[in-house]
Amino acid sequence: MQTVKMVISGAVNAGKTEFIRTISEIEVVSTERPATDDTRLIKKETTVAMDFGRIAIGDDLVLHLFGTPGQKRFDFMWEILSEGMLGLVILVDSTRPETFRETNRIIDFFMSYRETPYVVAANKQDRPNAWSPEELRLALRLPSHIKVLPCMATDRESVKNVLLELLDVIMQRSED
Amino acid sequence: MPLVGNIRDFGLSDFLYLVDRGYKTGCLHLSRADEMASLYFEKGKLITATRKDDNVPVTDLLVRKGKLTPVQAAQAAQEHQNQNGVHLSQVLINLNLIGRDELQRILQQHIEESVYALFSWNEGEFRFEQGQRPDPTAPIMPTPLAVEHLIMEGVRRIDEWGRIKDRIPSTDMVVKFIEQPVERTKGINLAADEWRVFARINGKDTLAEIARKTGMSEFDVCRIVYGFLTAGLVDVIRKPAPVPMLATGRPLAEAPRVKKSLVTRIINRIRGM
Repeated sequence: MQTVKMVISGAVNAGKTEFIRTISEIEVVSTERPATDDTRLIKKETTVAMDFGRIAIGDDLVLHLFGTPGQKRFDFMWEILSEGMLGLVILVDSTRPETFRETNRIIDFFMSYRETPYVVAANKQDRPNAWSPEELRLALRLPSHIKVLPCMATDRESVKNVLLELLDVIMQRSED
Repeated sequence: MPLVGNIRDFGLSDFLYLVDRGYKTGCLHLSRADEMASLYFEKGKLITATRKDDNVPVTDLLVRKGKLTPVQAAQAAQEHQNQNGVHLSQVLINLNLIGRDELQRILQQHIEESVYALFSWNEGEFRFEQGQRPDPTAPIMPTPLAVEHLIMEGVRRIDEWGRIKDRIPSTDMVVKFIEQPVERTKGINLAADEWRVFARINGKDTLAEIARKTGMSEFDVCRIVYGFLTAGLVDVIRKPAPVPMLATGRPLAEAPRVKKSLVTRIINRIRGM
């Protein structure tokens, strides 16, 4: 059985757990706990280790989805999770510009570790004060070749679209 | 919908960059305590700025500065009422009450000073209202102002490490030009020290090395590079570590390559979900 891995990362409350929960075939293995630090101001529960979801591709192939913890003190997990990943989704809470710097820090981290195919998903686009994907591209200063996609992590079609766009980027780098 | 936030989290220079690159038209409202300011943009360029305590028609401003008499101001106001959709600034020029260049110089100086003062705000709410235009009597400049110039001058007034470190966490980082930097520099006037740093940017030297080669302090080099960075001229990147090679000859830092057939299978599976 071959397994391939995608990582879903982003700042606290970007919607990583929800994203995986929406698409995973299994009940997401989550490690949410009552938030105990600054995170408490944003959400009651937060992911303290990681989320794990799974999609069976066939009898011999499985796609694993890992969500990284958003809190800084778990940065060490990112390196472990990024080992051997096929691609990366960076989720951004489009309604909270205060998380944009942290999002840049996360992108910098993953890109300094290895050249990984990634896309940025502008989550919570259904909220009235959401920054548009194009505004997020400028705010995060992302180059034009990086895809910034509208996303609603609670909507299956939206999550599927993000993953398909990432797979398109991966496809461009894959071998015959 | 308006873009909202706090400049503590998304600084004024970041916002100016967004307005410039996004060719935005609208008004950026800033407020803290009892202070309020409004910056109006047309296709990414600044056309006017007002502050709560100095929100007057262009004619009042020019009378105050001794460039217009009250009679001339009244004449322009009267003419303005008869001309639909024309800014009062344009009416002044049309009536030959002031030359276009002189009006530009006076208004630009006035508006620039208003904006530069905003760079000292460490926090404050912002709200960008797309498409919002200034009152036609506002001191609208005949020639809109490129914001790179404002960013560079505003950043020159930053004297704290805190803000700089948000973007440049270490002097071990390498500075490199972004694509087509020459095109972007057209609206910017660099000071001598800035040219010294600019000329040393080669995509290889770290900030610390540039400081050593120019004989400037690391703080000054970082502050100058922060300005370039904020204006979108350069990028700072971590100095690449030597990349260990795998037995296959492929660098370890490269993501694993997968077969197209495998990716196609995953795509088909997700499409069918």
